[in-house]
Amino acid sequence: MKRVYEFLLRLYPRDYRAVFAKEMSNAFEQGLAERRDQGWGAAWRFALAELVGLTIGAGIEWIAKLSTDSSIRGRSLSDRPLNAGAFPNVPEEVSNAQQRTELLVKRIVHAISHHDYIGARRYSDEERIARESLRLLRQKYQINE
Amino acid sequence: MRHVATQAKELEAKPLTEPVLLILTSLADQPRHGYALLKDIEELSGGRVRLSTGTLFGALRRLLEDEWIERFDQEDTSRQKQAYRLTAAGRKQLQVELDRMRRLTRAGFARLRASEL
Repeated sequence: MKRVYEFLLRLYPRDYRAVFAKEMSNAFEQGLAERRDQGWGAAWRFALAELVGLTIGAGIEWIAKLSTDSSIRGRSLSDRPLNAGAFPNVPEEVSNAQQRTELLVKRIVHAISHHDYIGARRYSDEERIARESLRLLRQKYQINE
Repeated sequence: MRHVATQAKELEAKPLTEPVLLILTSLADQPRHGYALLKDIEELSGGRVRLSTGTLFGALRRLLEDEWIERFDQEDTSRQKQAYRLTAAGRKQLQVELDRMRRLTRAGFARLRASEL
């Protein structure tokens, strides 16, 4: 059943899939496992509803992709790194941490420019944690800053 | 004057769809990942609403674009279990919608009571 689900996920736009496919597949798997405990009838009903919802969702996502400005669409699809090639000479783990830190800096700037000082403080706390984990990762891989 | 401006702004805000309202409500107290959202929404609605993953993640994508929610990295966050949380704008939007529903509920009950007299 999971294979059918993952096959249908291919109907979605590529950028959407890159961000959400694994999360969706994971949620489906958890839901299916829970329904199996309730009996095969419940599991089949769940799977059928999911497959229908997935097919309809794919159509909606294609319409959204074609009708939404890429800068707006980027807000939902750019938070997480879509590829590991952004920093080609460092391991993916470090590259992701680096992008995360840079994103948080952008969020701090954005929050301050919109007078959202509470948000800015929250992002600043997160950025401090992200920067520390980046430092540890660089240490682990012996990468100079 | 300010009161009028606030009212006008509230009227401009589009009513939220049920899935969006339930997602925002579910995220109001803590960040949640996809499956936790599905479970919580089912519980919040008393088992009446069961979102499919297609509907849930489509709504999450739109909410991210509107900047009403944002991704949130928890310690155990992996690509399979990304958590989401409300932004200040999302919290405000939820508050506006709940206020609107409260006004509607109050008016509805008042009319029911009046018709029973």
